[in-house]
Amino acid sequence: MDLLSMRESYQRDRIMLCFNGPISRSLIEEIGKALRNYLDTQQAPPSAAMDVFAVYIEMTQNIRHYARHQGYSDTQAAATVAVAQDADDHYQVSAGNLVEQADGERLLRTIEALAPLDKAELKAAYKQQLRRPRDADEGGGAGLGLLDMARKSSRPLQASLQPLPNGQGFFSLTATI
Amino acid sequence: MGSKITMISDLDIAGGQSTPAIQSHWGSGRLAMQGDSYPENSYELFDQVIGWVRHFLDEESRPLHLELDLVYLNTSSVKAMMDIFDLLEEAHLQGRQVSVEWRYDPRNERIAELADEFREDCSYPFAITPAAAPA
Repeated sequence: MDLLSMRESYQRDRIMLCFNGPISRSLIEEIGKALRNYLDTQQAPPSAAMDVFAVYIEMTQNIRHYARHQGYSDTQAAATVAVAQDADDHYQVSAGNLVEQADGERLLRTIEALAPLDKAELKAAYKQQLRRPRDADEGGGAGLGLLDMARKSSRPLQASLQPLPNGQGFFSLTATI
Repeated sequence: MGSKITMISDLDIAGGQSTPAIQSHWGSGRLAMQGDSYPENSYELFDQVIGWVRHFLDEESRPLHLELDLVYLNTSSVKAMMDIFDLLEEAHLQGRQVSVEWRYDPRNERIAELADEFREDCSYPFAITPAAAPA
């Protein structure tokens, strides 16, 4: 295994933390704890550190909810998560996972629709989503999670969907804090 | 569950990494929560809290006061907390005395912003207080 090239690519992309594999409830907590500690040692402002943590939690919990809803195996439920800093020192939280192609396309449209909204419009949409009945919100708040991420981001959420030969796609999402 | 229950047992739940500590005091009409709340399914935890609040408001006419030292809430927990605040609002509109005090670490304004968004939908006393030493 070429660890040196992995290391060099992490350093080039300024990746502070990265994970790939099946993600359990306790793993989300442990990685989250490591992320918080790391941000603390970096002396990130507490509000930025909390935004990074919040986006990380919503992304990974959305992936878990989706995989459970689909009845995916551990291998299919694997998540790829990275937290990095961009050239302007903004924190970037990214997560990717396998999705059914049609679900991925629907997600892309939802995220595109959020892009033109300003902070006040995102807040109104968030509050409206919050007041939807519990049952209408499968998995405990996937749509709410996206709105929450968009509100915590300084730029529109960036998403992509790469089709795979088996009819599934790899969905990736990046939030810039 | 019988229908003649006039008092349910108080909650005393230890906090975990992703769940807040919760204590209720039926006798003094107080409910307190401290810490982070980001379980995957918040209602597994909050259903019992919502149940306690509902019972108290149904069975008692005394005031109810919430003391919150909550720090980070995921969206699933935000939804559950909103249900609790809505119960208080409903009771308040019927003339009940209810109040909330949410204490936060002033170094992190996100907590105050979160509390303030809840307060926007509440017409009862809802204090958001900077605390020197967070719990």
